[in-house]
Amino acid sequence: MLATRPLSVLVAVATGALFVANGTASPQTTPPRQQQQQRDRLRQHDPYSTEVDAAVSAEQEKYLKATTLENLQTAYDGESNAANRYLAFAKKADQEGYGKVGSLFRAAARAEQIHAANHAEVIKTLGAVPKAEIVQPEVKTTKENLEVAISGELAERQTMYPAMMVRARQDGQRQAIRSFNFAMTAEQGHADLYRKALTNLESWRGGPVDFFVCTVCGYTVEKIDFRKCPSCFIPAEEYVKVS
Amino acid sequence: MSLIPPWDALHPLVVHFPIALLIVAPLFVVAALVWRRGSSWLLIAALAIMVLGTIGALLAVSTGESAGELAERTPAVAAVLEEHEELAETTRNVFLGLTALFAAVVVASHVLPRRWGSRMRPGVLPALQIVFLALYGGGVVLLVNAAHQGGRLVHEFGVTAMLSPSAQPGPPPIERTAAHGDDD
Repeated sequence: MLATRPLSVLVAVATGALFVANGTASPQTTPPRQQQQQRDRLRQHDPYSTEVDAAVSAEQEKYLKATTLENLQTAYDGESNAANRYLAFAKKADQEGYGKVGSLFRAAARAEQIHAANHAEVIKTLGAVPKAEIVQPEVKTTKENLEVAISGELAERQTMYPAMMVRARQDGQRQAIRSFNFAMTAEQGHADLYRKALTNLESWRGGPVDFFVCTVCGYTVEKIDFRKCPSCFIPAEEYVKVS
Repeated sequence: MSLIPPWDALHPLVVHFPIALLIVAPLFVVAALVWRRGSSWLLIAALAIMVLGTIGALLAVSTGESAGELAERTPAVAAVLEEHEELAETTRNVFLGLTALFAAVVVASHVLPRRWGSRMRPGVLPALQIVFLALYGGGVVLLVNAAHQGGRLVHEFGVTAMLSPSAQPGPPPIERTAAHGDDD
């Protein structure tokens, strides 16, 4: 027993580490056993809150059945529209005198543009062309816009990206996993900031303030109190100021 | 199929070398203090192991940052990951300094005397070795803590590097407040 164990470790290292598939092809169909694994993995996901049902939703099933490339296109479209929507929300916030909320929307828009650009890069490496259908955003009051923004960010964080990550892991698409993961981490931060703004809306009146956005992963913060980006480990100097 | 694993997938393979080598290296310095007659070779062996360990630390930090980009975050995972990364980077920098310092001691005590005939005064080299070991102890504390945080990520939170598409069957990172896992 003791003698065979190191041997099995050696074999595992040799087979696991040396013959890694960097596959770019995404399987079109998912075998039933893999589907069950996908569901098990997603049921345990949702580590952030109990706001959504932990069961796998029909929405997630859709992303699990799609190819990684299709998911990238969906995510690219979503991020592009989110950036456009937040810029419209920022204008409205400025008009209503919520300067700090306007700055937050502009910072989040910058982050969504970064996510869209990251997804677009991966789409291109897979030989496709990024496509987004920009729709005219519905702009309401700043309070309502914040509520819409929170639900949008949480849907991406808790439903869309977790399912896309599971799918991309199964396809071995490292670039896609990295891009989805950067976006997923940043979206939680956006939701937290929007919640903070909604809770303290009246104190967020006034002129614009500074937010800081990572140019690599879109992670968004009110102040930089770290040397390296907590999400992608790039030096903090790579952050841009958005007001 | 690829014969060369992706950079991020190398982290689990690489990370154990600096831990083992940098912990073993000072034992040779201690041995050189005890067995004076063979001290030259023991100190050179210690330096060689330290250099290899420090190279391992450089690779471990680089591969670790790539692996970290693929790790799904929860607030707890993010906190441990950040601490692991910061400790690992500090450890790498400290051992770069310690290895350079030890190389200077070895050169001053063994290479220069052979070349120019100048000898250190008796007792100076052992004193330098003892001071170095004290400094090295601080580096080992950092190393062990960095390794421990890495161990927590794997054994407490289930965060693993992605070795291959099929090698990712485990659940996503989980929130747990259980006792710490093993060092890794």
